[in-house]
Amino acid sequence: MEVAVEGLRFSRSGRTVLDIPSLGFAGGSTTAVFGPNGSGKTTLLRLIGGLERPAAGAIRIGRAEVSRNSESRRHVGFAFQEAVFVGGTVRRNLDLALELRDVPPEERWARIAEAARECGIEAVLDRSARQLSSGEAQRANLARALALRAPLTLLDEPLTGIDRVARTQLLDDLPRMLATFAATTILVTHDREEAFRLADHLVVLAEGRVRAAGPKSVVYARPPDRMTAELLGYTVVEIAGRMLGVPAGAWALGNGDLWVDLLVERVVDMGNHLHAVGAAAGERVDVRLRIGDPVLVPGDRVRITPRTCVPVG
Amino acid sequence: MGEAVALLAGGDAELYRIIGRTLAISAVATVLAMLVGVPLGYGLARGRFPGRTLLLGAVNTGMGMPPVVVGLVVWLLLTRSGPLGRWELIYTREAMVLAQFVIATPLVVGFTAASIQSLPAQLPDLLTSLGAGRLRKLWILSREARLGLLAAVMAGFGAIVSEVGASMTVGGNLRDSTRVLTTAIVTETSRGNLPVALALGGLLLALAFAVNLLLTLVQQRRNG
Repeated sequence: MEVAVEGLRFSRSGRTVLDIPSLGFAGGSTTAVFGPNGSGKTTLLRLIGGLERPAAGAIRIGRAEVSRNSESRRHVGFAFQEAVFVGGTVRRNLDLALELRDVPPEERWARIAEAARECGIEAVLDRSARQLSSGEAQRANLARALALRAPLTLLDEPLTGIDRVARTQLLDDLPRMLATFAATTILVTHDREEAFRLADHLVVLAEGRVRAAGPKSVVYARPPDRMTAELLGYTVVEIAGRMLGVPAGAWALGNGDLWVDLLVERVVDMGNHLHAVGAAAGERVDVRLRIGDPVLVPGDRVRITPRTCVPVG
Repeated sequence: MGEAVALLAGGDAELYRIIGRTLAISAVATVLAMLVGVPLGYGLARGRFPGRTLLLGAVNTGMGMPPVVVGLVVWLLLTRSGPLGRWELIYTREAMVLAQFVIATPLVVGFTAASIQSLPAQLPDLLTSLGAGRLRKLWILSREARLGLLAAVMAGFGAIVSEVGASMTVGGNLRDSTRVLTTAIVTETSRGNLPVALALGGLLLALAFAVNLLLTLVQQRRNG
């Protein structure tokens, strides 16, 4: 179900937290709202979920307008960043969620079993929800939201606060889970890798404003400004009067069509290769050295060139 | 205690009426205090409005309010020449319920607020997002906070079943009408019937214990 945001403004204690003239989420898409902490991502998600009231503007989910006491919430399956549960088992928590959505009791059992299987929490279904490991708790949290099979699924930082191994597994499993249960998904993350691995569309949010929005390849290929480019992981340098975004790992020693001088400050031994770290065109740059490259010491000045880059702006 | 047992065993009808009256008045006052105090405590715990901290402070003060002062204020309200005098409630059981309600409510509000605040902060939002209405949400949260809420019942009931100042002032300790265990103890003490007074005191303690034991059993069930 598509989501449309028009003229949205939200302030907290006199400060404008969000200012979005217009933004759309296509039906059937998975969009990552991506931005640094404090950019207003979670606030946007809560506004769409009907948990906050905007100062101005409107949000529509399908044809239903979101207001604080509206039916639009029933179109939404919301998984909060913090996995909160009522007392009792995981099963009880899933059952309560389905009950609150008026799913008949005879149907709930099957829906819970399916969600548990797809989300990998069958083994802990009858354990106390408040005694799960962080990874299990997050899966149970997601299972509860997904079991609703809502037209719109909202996920707030679905991979935050869990240990590394569980995170890697969940990052692998989540696309399949979403494909099974979610029609349209909006997820919020501050992690670039998560955004790109989970979503097909990106909304880059910074300081409460949308910097870029669209299919992820389009946004990545053409960052509209320096801040967006940096959020997307580019090092932004000015070469020959053009602003260019150079992805991490794309710098190499040598003369290309485009080149800048690097003033080497440190050489870092990574075990099987070396990195030269220093300043180039006023930016911090990290260059992976290759076999055959000259031996560098701090203070050296060498020419480096981006093997790939994108225009910024 | 032997005297009390003898009174009970002897089927002293007046004593049974006093016990029944004591329990009925305090139970009704406690139920009313819960009906008013639980939503107020919930609002105080969850709400964000100016003066909230001040109000919490006032409630916490109210939790230690001297019953005799409450009795005095209620008496001033209900007395024949008072603002509510035409209701003719002074020296009735209803007046005692009102005074005890005023004493118990801050306790219920305070305990409720504390127990709601101890729940996960995002739980109310979760229930809202799942589509729970206002009443449904209050019910689910109450169930989550049942340990604290039963503590609120016990504190409220315990405070008013054992208080004497307000009951005496607004009830008047009328025999066969507003005499309860605590005021009966005062009466027997002033008459010099110390063994009877002591026996009634033991009885009051035993009653309070029985009620609290019952509530504790409910509270601790499934929390073993």
